[in-house]
Amino acid sequence: MPVLRLPKFGKPVKYAYITGRVRAMKTKLIPHEMYQRMLGMDIPEITRYLEETQYKEEIDLMAKDHSGAELVEYATFANLAKTYRKLLEVSIDEPQFLILEYLRRWDIWNIKTILRGKFYGASEEEIMKYLVPAGELDPEFLEGLAKKERVEEVISAFDGTDYYEALAHYDGQMLSSVENALDKLYYFRMERAVGGTLSVGGGLLLKYVRKEIDVKNLVTLFRMNKAGIEASVIQDNLIPGGKLHEELSRMAGQSYNEFVRGLEGYPFWSAISDVVGEGGGVSRIEARLRAYLVRYAWAISNYHPLSILPVLGYIVSKDTEVSNIRKIVRGKEAGLPAEVIEEQVVA
Amino acid sequence: MVVETITDGGVLYGLLAVGAGLATGLAGIGAGVGEQGIGAAVVGVVAEEPGFLGKGLFLMLLPETLIIFGLAVSLILMFAWTPFA
Repeated sequence: MPVLRLPKFGKPVKYAYITGRVRAMKTKLIPHEMYQRMLGMDIPEITRYLEETQYKEEIDLMAKDHSGAELVEYATFANLAKTYRKLLEVSIDEPQFLILEYLRRWDIWNIKTILRGKFYGASEEEIMKYLVPAGELDPEFLEGLAKKERVEEVISAFDGTDYYEALAHYDGQMLSSVENALDKLYYFRMERAVGGTLSVGGGLLLKYVRKEIDVKNLVTLFRMNKAGIEASVIQDNLIPGGKLHEELSRMAGQSYNEFVRGLEGYPFWSAISDVVGEGGGVSRIEARLRAYLVRYAWAISNYHPLSILPVLGYIVSKDTEVSNIRKIVRGKEAGLPAEVIEEQVVA
Repeated sequence: MVVETITDGGVLYGLLAVGAGLATGLAGIGAGVGEQGIGAAVVGVVAEEPGFLGKGLFLMLLPETLIIFGLAVSLILMFAWTPFA
């Protein structure tokens, strides 16, 4: 039975404080033209530039133990976690609930990082540096997980939680099935938690999230169709819940050219039309789709200025900024040409 | 006696006073509703950018102009408009 969703009087006002705050925080993000300049700098120059921005505190704190690309990477992760935790601390009520639901993706990220670390025998210190404790799982709990010896011990720590069902996919040989199950669980839980509230804010969050799922599935299709993988395997890897799920599922297993022709006319087509040639890399398409998603988040937030959408726009932009900085410094460290790094940068 | 008072306009003057009160009072409530959102947003921005305080206060004052309109109507009703003169 369809449920009527009516806006409640005074509801948007709950978002006034947090949206005002994130709009001010947005002005502190690194402007797009700066990435071009960073491509021409070496790593110490990039670090010095970042010291003039919001990353100063973390860089100063970590500079005594680390240097080069490592310093930038750890400092940006620490700043990302601090920023997201701040958003949770300064919001209350519905905005806080929705922000936490969205930020649970970092719980998934942390679980994946710990599993991968344990799988490949990384030390506790190494694992801890790549964690972003911005979701519900607190740093102490994550530290406890990182201290465990084996993957199975980490999995058993989640016994009795929602995560266990996804983690039970671990077969002792490959983590990819567990990672895929965790991704699906994240979106399933969000749909269950946010969709159940019937709030206007929750509906707007799901509107963006459905687009995000479509973009993720699209990237999966680009990767797997290009590699010529069987349709049923690809369909298993697609995340349910996207607006275009049925249509994208039908595209699984198609030849690359047929798949690309089928995408013409979709809203995201103009963002990728010039890079979908068979010779181009998927990471370039992924960067373009990510940029499309960031633009989409801000575009819909203009229609709902006092809602969760500006906060989401900021969360996505901040995540993209950190990912861009990491790509640039890691690319520089590996000695990649500026043009190759530029293709990966989301702008 | 009572009937004479009514025909003298006593009740009507009373209603004028109620109208004047409503004009200012409702305008005040309207301004308050408008200001709650602006105030919260301004505090949010100032928490990040303290330099925005001046502009923020100016934006917060915009709904206050509603009260001036209400007050003007009230003053006209009470002192300038004399239907029984």
